Amino acid sequence: MLADLHNHSCLSPCASLEMSPRRLAWEAAAAGIGLLALTDHNSARNTPAFFVACREADIMPLAGLEITTREECHVLALFDDPEDALAMGEWVWEALPAYPLDAERFGDQPVVDKNENIVEMIDRLLTSSIEYVFHEVQHETERRGGLFIPAHINRQAFSVESQLGFLPPGTYDAIEVLAPEAETYQQRYPNIPVITSSDAHLPNQIATQPFCLQTKEGTISAIRKSLRALCSPQ
Amino acid sequence: MKLSEMATHANWASLQPEFVDSEVEAAYTSDLLSDVMANAHDADVLITIQAHNNTIAVASLAGIKGIVICNDRSIPEDMLASAAKEKIAIFRTSQNQFQTSQTVANALDA
Repeated sequence: MLADLHNHSCLSPCASLEMSPRRLAWEAAAAGIGLLALTDHNSARNTPAFFVACREADIMPLAGLEITTREECHVLALFDDPEDALAMGEWVWEALPAYPLDAERFGDQPVVDKNENIVEMIDRLLTSSIEYVFHEVQHETERRGGLFIPAHINRQAFSVESQLGFLPPGTYDAIEVLAPEAETYQQRYPNIPVITSSDAHLPNQIATQPFCLQTKEGTISAIRKSLRALCSPQ
Repeated sequence: MKLSEMATHANWASLQPEFVDSEVEAAYTSDLLSDVMANAHDADVLITIQAHNNTIAVASLAGIKGIVICNDRSIPEDMLASAAKEKIAIFRTSQNQFQTSQTVANALDA
């Protein structure tokens, strides 16, 4: 099936206000996506509405966050349900600087319900880097049973390559790579599953760079196993 | 010293002409945008290798008037477009951040 594990909703200041969790779910479903994750910057507050929409659209959801580590590396933390992601989000929030949002420059950060009503405006800038470093975020994500995936590692900004210069040695559930170089990276890292994602911030970016995953179940443990199979063909 | 005078003095390539040519009194050198956002408020010039669009939003917030991209890093079009919109100058140099900081410090002391 087609999987797309990195997407933003209107809660991310840099995403379009038209990106409600509902719209993301329905348009991804219409484009043939079977497994979809919502990963707003440093917050999982829109995942409850996202889960309702995905169930209605008959698509398997994952609840996640795109966390900005202290080194300003973006990493994905993905969980089975909104409760787990919201709990991770609490841990992130405690480590997020109380820097007020300048909505004129960065954009608004609305939390919405399943019917697209705004229930809260987050007034702390969500894209800031948290106080924990890369390996601490990895450890915490894995301790909570989540998938840990360094995001767009070959991007010029906010990636392990741009910030650290290299991918720290270790084991990863997957690494996300910008599409044109996916094969090159799979050759470079033969033991780490390489995936692509849409990283959709706008409606016209939905379902543009999914990857193929052989899984019937949408659980983290089944997905982890299926991801492993991407780099060790049967 | 005006921004344009500093650029000529330091031999920086000017890549974005739509800027306010204001007086330079201080600079800040950093490659972490969260650090720039928190600490660069007194600076007019940012010295960095972070050549991408997000640098403009942060520079604008911190009141930066010009950005010097070091080590001849390539500068994406969307970064130049955002800089033009915010009237922030973009310069490029083959020098590294330390050398550029030294050049600016010497010019400000002169």
